[in-house]
Amino acid sequence: MIKKQKHSNSSQDEQQYNLYKDAYTRLVANKLAVVGMIVLFLVFFVAIFGPYITPYDFLDQDLMARNQPPSMKHWFGTDDLGRDILSRVIYGARTAFIVAVSVTFLSLMIGIVLGSLGAYIGGKVDTFVVWLIDVFMSIPSLLLVIVINVSLKPRLVNWMDMQFLATQNEFYRNTILADFVLVFGSLALIKWPKAARIIRGQILSVKKKNYVLAAKALGVPSSRIVKKYVIPNSIGPIIVYISASLGEAMVFESAFSFLGVGVRPPIPSWGNMISDGLRVWQLYPHILAAPALVLAIVTIAYSFLGDGLNDALNPRQWK
Amino acid sequence: MMPSTQDNGNSRYEAKGNNVSKLLEVKNLETRFKARNGYVYAVNGVSFSLEKGEMLGVVGESGCGKSVTMMSLIKLLPPSAEITSGEVFLDGEDISHASAKKMNYIRGVKVGMIFQDPMTSLNPFVKIGLQLAEGIMYHKKLSKEEAYRQAGIYLDLVGISNSTERLNEFPHQLSGGMRQRVMIAMALLSEPSLVIADEPTTALDVTIQAQIVELIKEIRERLNTSIIWITHDLSLLAGMVDRIVVMYSGMIVEEATLEEIYKNPQHPYTIGLLQSIPKVDASHGKRLPSIGGAPPNLFIKPTSCPFAPRCAYKIDRCEQENPQIREVRTLHEKNHHRVACWVDVEKRS
Amino acid sequence: MGRYILHRLLRWFPTVVLILLTIYALVFFGAGDPIKLIFLRAPGDVAYDVERVEAIREEAGLNEPFLVQFGNYMWNIMHGNFGNSLVSGRSVNSMLAAAVPVTFQIGLTAIFLLTIFGTLLGVIAALNHNRWLDNLIVGFALITWGVPVFVAGPLVVVVLVLGLGMDVPYGWYGLFNPMVITPLVILSLAPMSLIIRQARAGVLEVLSEDYIRTARSKGLPRRTVVLRHILRPVLTPVVSQVGLLIIATLNNSILIERVFGLPGLGRLTETAIKDSDYPVILAIVFIFSTVVMVSNLLVDISYPLLDPRAAAKKEGDE
Repeated sequence: MIKKQKHSNSSQDEQQYNLYKDAYTRLVANKLAVVGMIVLFLVFFVAIFGPYITPYDFLDQDLMARNQPPSMKHWFGTDDLGRDILSRVIYGARTAFIVAVSVTFLSLMIGIVLGSLGAYIGGKVDTFVVWLIDVFMSIPSLLLVIVINVSLKPRLVNWMDMQFLATQNEFYRNTILADFVLVFGSLALIKWPKAARIIRGQILSVKKKNYVLAAKALGVPSSRIVKKYVIPNSIGPIIVYISASLGEAMVFESAFSFLGVGVRPPIPSWGNMISDGLRVWQLYPHILAAPALVLAIVTIAYSFLGDGLNDALNPRQWK
Repeated sequence: MMPSTQDNGNSRYEAKGNNVSKLLEVKNLETRFKARNGYVYAVNGVSFSLEKGEMLGVVGESGCGKSVTMMSLIKLLPPSAEITSGEVFLDGEDISHASAKKMNYIRGVKVGMIFQDPMTSLNPFVKIGLQLAEGIMYHKKLSKEEAYRQAGIYLDLVGISNSTERLNEFPHQLSGGMRQRVMIAMALLSEPSLVIADEPTTALDVTIQAQIVELIKEIRERLNTSIIWITHDLSLLAGMVDRIVVMYSGMIVEEATLEEIYKNPQHPYTIGLLQSIPKVDASHGKRLPSIGGAPPNLFIKPTSCPFAPRCAYKIDRCEQENPQIREVRTLHEKNHHRVACWVDVEKRS
Repeated sequence: MGRYILHRLLRWFPTVVLILLTIYALVFFGAGDPIKLIFLRAPGDVAYDVERVEAIREEAGLNEPFLVQFGNYMWNIMHGNFGNSLVSGRSVNSMLAAAVPVTFQIGLTAIFLLTIFGTLLGVIAALNHNRWLDNLIVGFALITWGVPVFVAGPLVVVVLVLGLGMDVPYGWYGLFNPMVITPLVILSLAPMSLIIRQARAGVLEVLSEDYIRTARSKGLPRRTVVLRHILRPVLTPVVSQVGLLIIATLNNSILIERVFGLPGLGRLTETAIKDSDYPVILAIVFIFSTVVMVSNLLVDISYPLLDPRAAAKKEGDE
């Protein structure tokens, strides 16, 4: 009996493996998606090694060279404080990625916990989780984040000041961290419902499948069922979620910094750079164009990749 | 048995009958589908004809090309399909190279189709009445009222009660059997000379199946329409069709009247089919005979007899050359019986 | 159907109250004292007089406990009174009355146009599946999908003005003035991309259905097959997207109205946030939530209207 089970498990494993191999093959066959991936890897690379490759520090001001158009010395030109725009854009990539990754991770964690709790325990817990998801999804997300940032930030800053006074710990001086934490937190708050929905949906649908019922009837322990059936089946949608969420989070972050909420200057974010650029674009278009073009390219790359991933993991019959 | 060339069946027909009564003539039809790595050769040289008012049964296993052949006649094929050769004459007219507009006319007026699955063959978003009437409204330039009236008449004809109410309903409000009757009415509305029924009862309950069969027989008598009935179930055709064509791997392997097929089968495949029909009076505990082996690989065009691997009567020649069609002596001398086989099964058995 | 709508409205009400409560609480406990802020912002060297601030606060009822204040607020809302701006003193209602029509006009027009064009393009793409036209349209859709409005907007403006020498598209001159074209287009691009892809996917799915084969077997001309047999099934998924788009467009208006100088709801939101003008903020939250609910409801109602099978189920429920 056990031998037979092992055999069927391994062939199902094989099938799982082949499914992803298939998906991978399909993905790399999609030229647009490949272009997207290359671009994103480039940006990712720049984000990680950014500070080490920037020609100038993003804070360096050179008041003698303000608002200069692109030149050999400054590839993207300088802004109104004489700062090198290329360096700021590179640092902006960093901001973008840090936020995107953290928010995705955070929302995924929350989503997994709540989603699986609801799906496994069922009953009242599940009803509560579903209701919670519904409420959060109907809150106008943009507004929520904005309001959180506007209302809580002064409080948080105050609190940190008090802590610093009390403990003299340098950590509390870091208002930039406060900025980021607020941004992560509020963005994760609006994104977790999607993740939770996906996880919950997956678990519920796998729970109903015949092979799970069969396994249960054979006395397979729940932990094994989770390991062998639930997790492999959920990976696909999770991957799609992660890829979509990274892009979304990036866009959200830049939207908020564009509005002046979120990451504040002097920390460069493409969003606040665009916002700054809007003030002087008629005279110095490069200040606006540089971050805008970079953000545009990155988002288009995401678009290609996301579409390619979707097609690869959910192939249609008529393709 | 005198061997004759492949195309000879038709010329024999021409000599004996007169062309005018022949509704449909198909000569050497070949159709293939483009696949990711090659072609699927679905129809490999099919020739047959149909008289006016005649009912022809086309029998063969799944994938033998019976549907594709008939769909090729009216070019109702998916984009990956390609008719590589052949001629089709409808009412004496060559329609093999007809324009799209002409083809639409033929589909709408001269040929009616009944499909296999009534649950999916009707558009769930459009009312029954419109689906019935739209064909004749367009092709015969009828007004909406006239077309709907006509539709109502045919709904009555196929045995659907409350026809006027039904016209205003959506497909999901009807049962499977009723939907198939609607499909039949739809096929007949334009008063076509030919109706092609592609496994019309396969998806239905056995009891409904019997009703539909009766219905079609009745209609055929009343309207004298020529009918081609495609099925994989040879026993279904008994008591219904005039002639039978047996297909295998995209080719016709035997063609004869109903009686001839049942009483005097000449092709090993036909014999196998007949043997595998469960009989009421079979002895207890015996295994149901089946045809061993696997279906043919359609990715290669057959250069030898495609049935040879599964054939109990095969000889060397079968694996070298594709059998040509020859005439067989019939029990009654008046009807044709053709078979594509190198072996004379009577001598062997 | 009527009962269903009522049911939905009843469910919506507590959700909105909850949302308002949350936002109110956040602002109440979080934001700086609004009166103090007014003083700090006043031009010149206005003395920060604690007593005066207290007096004003008493008058504005800002010293009451939280729930009482919230209760007052809800009461006022139910009478259609959103209070007065903390910054300008104007009634919020009048501010909304000026701003809302602008955003709604642009937004609704955009949605209307992009749905029609998007569906058209999606259908064309699907009918030319895998040929150059299909690839072109899908490529276009993917490119316009990713780029956010506050990126596309400024870039396009830069190109148009500095590159092509056009006038700067700034200001609101009514819906039928050519100035509105640029913001309208920018607002439409990303949502239209979604509609294009949705329509295309829908058509491709329908094309492989049996009933299309039936329609073709009747010799119907292509035009009829597309308009009658293909479009109808596709409408349902497309309309369901439109509901999402309404909310997205509203969000996008916040980002883009500054760029194009449109005095709409988005602009109002931006300034209210910057000034911590929380009566305005709350009123806007209310409007947004209402819009979300209404569009969800409209989408839900549309299903039985568009899909006869859904209509049957609905009747079964009631």
